[in-house]
Amino acid sequence: MASGVTVSDACKTTYEEIKKDKKHRYVIFYIKDERQIDVEVIGARDEEYEQFLTNLQAGGAGECRYGLYDFEYTHQCQGTSEASKKQKLFLMSWCPDTAKVKKKMLYSSSFDALKKSLVGVQKYIQATDLSEASQEAVEEKLRATDRQ
Amino acid sequence: MSGAVYGGDEVGALVFDIGHNSVRAGYAGEDSPKADIPTTVGVWLDSEDEVSVPVTHYNIGLCAIHVWRPEMELNTFLKDGMIENWDMFENFLDYIYYSALKAVPRDHPVLLTEPPWITSPKREEMAELMFEKYGVPAAYLAKNASLAAFANGRPTCLVVDSGATHTSAVPVHDGYVLTQAVVKSPVGGDYLSEQCRIFLQEKGIELVPPSFVASKEVGRPEESPNWQRRDVPYNLTDSWFTYMIKEVMQDFQATILQVSDSTYDEEIVKTMPTTHYEFPNGFHKDFSVERFKIPEPLFNPTTGAKAGIQPILGVGSLVTTSVGMCDIDIRPAMYGNVVVTGGNSSLQGFTERLNRDLAAKTPPSMRLKVISAPGTVERRFGAWTGGSILSSLGSFQQMWVSKQEYEEGGKAIIQTKCY
Ligand SMILES: Nc1ncnc2c1ncn2[C@@H]1O[C@H](COP(=O)(O)OP(=O)(O)OP(=O)(O)O)[C@@H](O)[C@H]1O
Ligand SMILES: [Mg+2]
Repeated sequence: MASGVTVSDACKTTYEEIKKDKKHRYVIFYIKDERQIDVEVIGARDEEYEQFLTNLQAGGAGECRYGLYDFEYTHQCQGTSEASKKQKLFLMSWCPDTAKVKKKMLYSSSFDALKKSLVGVQKYIQATDLSEASQEAVEEKLRATDRQ
Repeated sequence: MSGAVYGGDEVGALVFDIGHNSVRAGYAGEDSPKADIPTTVGVWLDSEDEVSVPVTHYNIGLCAIHVWRPEMELNTFLKDGMIENWDMFENFLDYIYYSALKAVPRDHPVLLTEPPWITSPKREEMAELMFEKYGVPAAYLAKNASLAAFANGRPTCLVVDSGATHTSAVPVHDGYVLTQAVVKSPVGGDYLSEQCRIFLQEKGIELVPPSFVASKEVGRPEESPNWQRRDVPYNLTDSWFTYMIKEVMQDFQATILQVSDSTYDEEIVKTMPTTHYEFPNGFHKDFSVERFKIPEPLFNPTTGAKAGIQPILGVGSLVTTSVGMCDIDIRPAMYGNVVVTGGNSSLQGFTERLNRDLAAKTPPSMRLKVISAPGTVERRFGAWTGGSILSSLGSFQQMWVSKQEYEEGGKAIIQTKCY
């Protein structure tokens, strides 16, 4: 079941700019007029994770958003001293428990549409508080997919 | 957009959330349902004279089922969350439309909730009824668990719904119910009402419907009650009487019962505070260990319930069994998002106990989070409110099954558009 909210072309274009061209670090999406997901903020390549979190929560405790981030970390290859740099794209839905029911309903019933239009994302994260959205939590989730 | 898409933005939709205890009905976009109607219906027969065929009458609504009508049986149109008696249900819908909401069916799209285990024929029958008999301009069938998941900001989660007739563990992924991993137990609030009744009757406590009491003098605790009985018709039915007592028990259980923090231990429970309760006839007393003992089988079935339906799996086991049937990749998301809903989950200590039982069973590598709306109202109306918000969104207009689509595609359209 879904809300019928659609995804703007700008979302897909910005996503491709991150995925293919590594032009930005992240993008924050919001739902415009309860009808379409659109780009709200684009994060420059040199911005820190903290800035992403700040922008994700810019609407206050009562709001929800989505965020896409090109995450980098180093991966220690087993049995060697070599460390390799990894880059992974994650897409996060941010629906804090403090958000209004109306917002939670709108954002959670529209997330699937966004997931389906951004092809090639490595990890989906459903975050409802900072312990799930923090850099450490995200890194842990991304690393978990390396071990397989 | 094709002409088949329902485009009536200007008219508000109606939302009906059908449960065994009550049906919640109201206008989309509002915070809570206009009407909360008992699902129990009074049925009686009447004939003009000795020779003509008797006509079936239905008494619907809180007041109408309470009247002292000789030979009126109380019954329901639902079975296992699905419509079983369509004639009775049609009369019930007439009551919702024409008495409770005073709304004209053909003016409003309608969103109806359904249980996760709904069958295809039942869905098609519902579509047929709404389009062909009521002539609704558009309709949608929504799984109650998906609505609860969205209303809690979690398109992926495990919904634990404890209502009147059952408790279920329902995995929801991206808003879709994973039907093959749903686990349910036929134990909910009705089971507790019945256990309370048996317990009190064994104690020799007389249970009477409040409407039987003409006057009473409240004496000292545990003293025999001193009350006057009204002049009640002798031929009220057993089903009527049973329902009236269930209502008394529902109040008793919400006031008195509490789920023990950890596995029931009589020695610990003895030290807990007692709770006072006054019955309709004025009898009153304190309750102590039974407050915890009666609901214990809900979580720990081996503790021996009395007569009737017996639980087999405790609530914690419903959850672990369901998660065990889910794909391994999504198990962490299930344990990390356990959403508790349904009126019976308002039982004191329910969420805390579930949290504790699950913490003992969840693999250590997985993060556990049990979430529940703060109030009883939110938990009872959770699915209704979810449906109310969803169907009032501008974007939802294209999701409805329109009358035209139904006419062109037949009733199977409901399976392709509502899933
Ligand atoms: N505050 C409360 N404390 C304990 N139990 C409660 C409380 N409020 C309601 N209940 C119980 O919750 C049950 C009704 O819950 P709910 O409205 O979720 O059921 P339903 O959806 O109509 O039924 P079902 O899910 O079985 O179809 C009743 O058994 C009632 O006694
Ligand atoms: Mg229910």
